[in-house]
Amino acid sequence: MSARTLLAILSALGALALWQALFMLNSDSLVIAGPVDVARWLTANAGLVGRAARTTVLAALWGFVWGNLAAILMAAFVVVLPRTERFMSFAALVIFCLPLVATGPILRVLFGAGAGPQITLAALAVYFTTYLTLVVGLRAVPQAWSDLARLYGRGPLTELFVIRARASVPYLLAGLQIAAPAAVLGAMVGEFTGAERGLGVLTLRAMRSLDVVATWGIASVAAAVSMLAYLAIGALSRLRGQGPPVLILSAGTQAARVPVWERAAMAVGVTIALLLVWQIAMDAFALSRFFAKRPGDVWAYLAEPAARRTLLTALWETLIWTVPGYVAGLMLGAGLAAVVTLLPGARALVLPLSVTLRSVPIITTAPLLVLALGRGATGTISIVAVMIFFPAFVACLHGLTQTPGQVRDVFASYGAGRLRLLVSAQIPAMLPAFFASARMAVPAALLAVTTTEWLATGRGIGTLMALTASTSDYNMLWSAVVVVALVAVTAYLLVEAAERWVLSRYAAEQVR
Amino acid sequence: MTSLIPLTRRRLLGVGAATIGLGAVGLRPAVAQNAEVALQLSWLHSVQFAGSYIAQQQGYWENEGLKVSLNTGGPNAPVEPPVVAGTALMGISAADYASAAVAQGAPFRIVAVAMKRNPFAIASLPANPVQRPADLVGKRIGMAVANTPVLRALCALNDVDIAGIEIVPTQYDAAPLVNGQVDCLLCWATDLPVAMAIQGIDSTTMLMADYGYAVHSQAYIVTEDSIANRRAEIVGLLRGEVQGWEDYNADTAAAAALTVAMFPDAGLDLATQEEQARRLRPLMFPYGDETRFGWFTDDSVAANIETLALLDRGANADLWDRSLLEEAYAG
Repeated sequence: MSARTLLAILSALGALALWQALFMLNSDSLVIAGPVDVARWLTANAGLVGRAARTTVLAALWGFVWGNLAAILMAAFVVVLPRTERFMSFAALVIFCLPLVATGPILRVLFGAGAGPQITLAALAVYFTTYLTLVVGLRAVPQAWSDLARLYGRGPLTELFVIRARASVPYLLAGLQIAAPAAVLGAMVGEFTGAERGLGVLTLRAMRSLDVVATWGIASVAAAVSMLAYLAIGALSRLRGQGPPVLILSAGTQAARVPVWERAAMAVGVTIALLLVWQIAMDAFALSRFFAKRPGDVWAYLAEPAARRTLLTALWETLIWTVPGYVAGLMLGAGLAAVVTLLPGARALVLPLSVTLRSVPIITTAPLLVLALGRGATGTISIVAVMIFFPAFVACLHGLTQTPGQVRDVFASYGAGRLRLLVSAQIPAMLPAFFASARMAVPAALLAVTTTEWLATGRGIGTLMALTASTSDYNMLWSAVVVVALVAVTAYLLVEAAERWVLSRYAAEQVR
Repeated sequence: MTSLIPLTRRRLLGVGAATIGLGAVGLRPAVAQNAEVALQLSWLHSVQFAGSYIAQQQGYWENEGLKVSLNTGGPNAPVEPPVVAGTALMGISAADYASAAVAQGAPFRIVAVAMKRNPFAIASLPANPVQRPADLVGKRIGMAVANTPVLRALCALNDVDIAGIEIVPTQYDAAPLVNGQVDCLLCWATDLPVAMAIQGIDSTTMLMADYGYAVHSQAYIVTEDSIANRRAEIVGLLRGEVQGWEDYNADTAAAAALTVAMFPDAGLDLATQEEQARRLRPLMFPYGDETRFGWFTDDSVAANIETLALLDRGANADLWDRSLLEEAYAG
């Protein structure tokens, strides 16, 4: 224990030293401030920052509660009624894809002044990742247990509460850990829709005032809050103790194939249902057609060849950055998880950095990345990777610990090393979590690319959407939203196909 | 029989409500006089809206029978949707944004103009200055790509070939200029240059309004429907604004101090606010017959229409309606 504590302290000092070194390398550039200046600024402005942090954290907390509650209900629903999964997953995916440019004005008009939009955006930032992680967890049940419940004549509800709920706890905790920094970020970004106070407001102010020390001071507070939440949830999972040993869940079986026509019919049905939800939701709140476009408006707009051409050109520019960014982010997340598993000492160095990158708005970190890596391919892909790797990292980290005890015992009795265990036992055990994170990274990568385009490259669909602010061209905005959603759904389906293929061999309980 | 209990309870509640209602009647007049209206600001609280804060604090709107809430703006808080939706009676937009929104079907009118001279400027460092539009050739300019039409209009007005300028997409931040990623920035003369000055960095500012770029900024927009149905409230709102901004014009330092005092959580710096207030003044109160707050002449409208055409915004004089401001001044 004392050795571990020492290691943690050393790593924390290492992180601080890394920060200081980065600062000294870039001290003239006005994009980074050092830890000493930041600490001094925080002491001098403790009252201001404290009040702002309270506002933001409160909004983040409510968003965290509502978003995760929604995710838990959705996941439970889907596991009890597997036929609803298609609709639920795609609705969740499409709503997660909605960019702030489109949702900001709507939320502000619906909620008026106050914390409503901040809480909603924090909730929206967390529900999708928790939902996906939890569905995997609720399915991570040994076949024999479900069979036993059925033998006793119990229905899916008993199975849910008695068997699945318990099996899902480690996955739920992973989901909550991913959610904590996302909620803080969501609340901060929510303040961009017009808030009186909060960390997001202070960030904007500091950046425009060229006040680098304040910018990094606020970022450190946001990161510290997220880190505390992350660690607290981590402690919760340790409190649970080791729990029952993780078992081999299922022998591989060949998944039943769904006929093509049935899949096609389902796709059409889900699309129509989503369009109806869109139309009805906007009508129900009597949102003005000026900024809340309906499916019909988008259809009519896209009938013009000029509009279609603009949109498709921008889409192409976006996609050529998204794919490498997506792969890089995913590999970075999984790779870091493997490194941390092999070298537990690296955890204290990797973790603060990861949580910081996830909880601080990209407008704070992007200038540093752009300065270091440029606005070309390297810079853009790096920013995207940085924005999306965190969920993959956390999910894989938890997935790696889900290695069945029997398998570990076999490796131990043969005296296999850590690397051998990682490659042959832990990585296969991690696959369900990895694919869940690969699915959640799809919309995240698209959001990351569009943000990067707006901040650094000035191309693609992100720039097209940002133009709305000055042109009020909400037709173009909503058409772009539809196109981005379609791309997300397609990519999601592709990832899912790969997942089915792999998991039918390694984790058949996940494949329905 | 069970129905008796809820019935009694409901009646009791009814009586209670009636009593409270009676009490409220006595209080009513004082409250009812003040119609509640909202003004949608275009950005976070700052001295840029100090005239409104003065009107609030001095009770100028109260005198007009109005209770005004000032709704904050932000980077993802466009002004036009809440005004169209009616959550705000009036919004602070600009002639280019408003004409674009009109083209998209929003029924807006500009009823007053706070910044008669557009605040857009090219900021550069004295060692490599941009003092006139021709200096832009061969330079790297940092700006939001969304503002490309603005640069194009400036070039067209001054016979500069835009192809000779390298546009670098940047965040709205002076850092890229200071650390040499770009040679100049497209920004407001009243924010990033002030930030640099406060940090002790000298900069050169070329105001685009000095080179023919005529676009009314910080313009007050309302819907045609509001003009028809809520005219008195709009006039009252404008009258309070006029009084507040006259006070601002008389003492910008006091306006800055009030701004900082009213919003302790906004992270405002007094020196920055004072300097911004000082630089905003000549844009809002240029000399000549336009010096009355909010006023715009037919000539300036004509000049705006010309510049807007260069921005690919077809606007005509119907976008502007001065009659409400005239009523406000008629008092």
